[in-house]
Amino acid sequence: MKLDLEQLRELIRLLDEANLTEIEVEHDDDRIRVRRDPAPLPAAAGVESVAPITAQGPEPTNAASAPDDDEGAYVTSPFVGTFYRSPSPDGAPFVDVGDSVVPGQVLCIVEAMKLMNEIEAEAAGTILEVLVESGKPVEYGDRLFRIEMG
Amino acid sequence: MVFEKVLIANRGEIALRVIRTCRELGLRTVAVHSEIDAEALHTRLADEAICIGPADPSRSYLHIPAIIAAAEITGADAVHPGYGFLSENPEFAETCAQCGLEFIGPLPEQMRLWGDKVSARAMAKSLGLPTLDGTELIEDIEDAVRKAKGLGFPVLLKASGGGGGRGMHVLHSKEELRAVFETARAESRAAFGNDALYFEKFLERPRHIEFQILGDKQGNIHVLGERECSIQRRHQKILEEAPSVALTDEMRRDMSATVRRAMAEAGYLSAGTLEFLLDERGELTFLEMNPRIQVEHPVTELVMGIDLIGEQIRIAEGRPLELPAEPLTPRGHAIECRINAEDPDTFAPSPGVITELHMAGGTGVRVDSGIYGGGRVPPHYDPLIAKLIVHAPTRVQAIAKMRRALSETLIGGIRTNIPLHKRILEHPAFEEGRISTKFLDELYTERMLTAPVRH
Repeated sequence: MKLDLEQLRELIRLLDEANLTEIEVEHDDDRIRVRRDPAPLPAAAGVESVAPITAQGPEPTNAASAPDDDEGAYVTSPFVGTFYRSPSPDGAPFVDVGDSVVPGQVLCIVEAMKLMNEIEAEAAGTILEVLVESGKPVEYGDRLFRIEMG
Repeated sequence: MVFEKVLIANRGEIALRVIRTCRELGLRTVAVHSEIDAEALHTRLADEAICIGPADPSRSYLHIPAIIAAAEITGADAVHPGYGFLSENPEFAETCAQCGLEFIGPLPEQMRLWGDKVSARAMAKSLGLPTLDGTELIEDIEDAVRKAKGLGFPVLLKASGGGGGRGMHVLHSKEELRAVFETARAESRAAFGNDALYFEKFLERPRHIEFQILGDKQGNIHVLGERECSIQRRHQKILEEAPSVALTDEMRRDMSATVRRAMAEAGYLSAGTLEFLLDERGELTFLEMNPRIQVEHPVTELVMGIDLIGEQIRIAEGRPLELPAEPLTPRGHAIECRINAEDPDTFAPSPGVITELHMAGGTGVRVDSGIYGGGRVPPHYDPLIAKLIVHAPTRVQAIAKMRRALSETLIGGIRTNIPLHKRILEHPAFEEGRISTKFLDELYTERMLTAPVRH
């Protein structure tokens, strides 16, 4: 089996979309396995995957947010719902990386019960990172943006 | 409709209880949790968990939009509310229906009807259930004396607008009545904005007896025997058992038939409990109806050999129930002790980290809990952390088993009411089944009288 980069990308996307931790494809004598560390939430399926009773990281972060530097502040979701970066499916995003924002400026929408809740910046700053993909579910407290204050 | 995924809008032991049945039925589960419950057992044992808000229940477990949004993003098709929180909130049940979610519980209009004490009493009476003697509203002091004599002392003077045990006076004579009447009227006006008062017959030492029912979508009502919940402190049940030693087979059969007829006429759906007071002459009178699953449901499950949560789910799916063949009769005896995180003497809450935990086991012992060693009992919620339930062929054996189970239970790091349970189970009056809702008050008075005097 010849596997090109595009096919590999496809596998990784599948892994992410289906929220799997591992995909293995076998064809003739070739085999490829794509795996990642399980995301903390939502919990993986099945009785077998029940977490052992020990302390674990308390931060209910979304799988997409894994910044390893402490630079900047985070805008977190005040609701459970679906995250949208733009006012309409085809519209331009409210903000993008590198944009300066002012207090009260709309950063995104979190939809819950068909209500579009606009999430506004609390302070002025620059968007360093967008941590959630548009259309994805978010929980209360999930990190949505990383912002450099000031 | 057959469910695939159930969201549990609750926390603690009842959330675990629902998760367990769902898993046995092959249903996937979604837990919702507050930030402080990110490590709680229900969060960890469900297939999926969604953080819905901060620790404050009004912004998480009571916040309807957050719970509905959690169901939407996880694709749940039904919601089980447990008890407490939103379980008796008709707006929540209605919102679930509007959002295409099946609410596993009674219909909203039934919650409204039975949730209001006055309308519930009137409804019970019209359905032919025996109700406590009472009077119309009192006009003035002379009318009060007349009405109280008609009813017969002792009487309970109650504020029409009162609730939760407030605005009540126990009166044993017309002299007492004359002494408090005007004060009671003024208090009622000040506290409830309404000075309407009425009398109810006061029972000195009643027993609390309740009947478990299940109503299905085909219009059948099943009465699953009674529970005795007389061991209470300030109207909070502490220890429950099934069946009650105070009921004869005939009383059980007759009241079951009355309840079945009444609730069939009312068209009741899902699990519910009708609470009664049993006076010393053996008369049962309707107190209230709880339109939800109750904390003490496991004692009924053990003696009847059923899964009440499973039946609630089947009812919501519109499927036939899986009950044993009629007549439904209790087998053996079951006792439940509610283990609360509180001081056994002062009843002050005792939240904190559970440093070590060993729950009882062995034959005939069931533990429904939401705690684990190293876990935290947050101060924001109900102090009920576990229920220890035993089942044995006789009441004497059940008491011995519960004493044994309590002696094995070890909960370190926080205080619990286990010592109180031990005292109850060792008391001769409890052993003989001579109990009433006054039992705990009397136990404490007795302890104060017999406690060694300190110098």
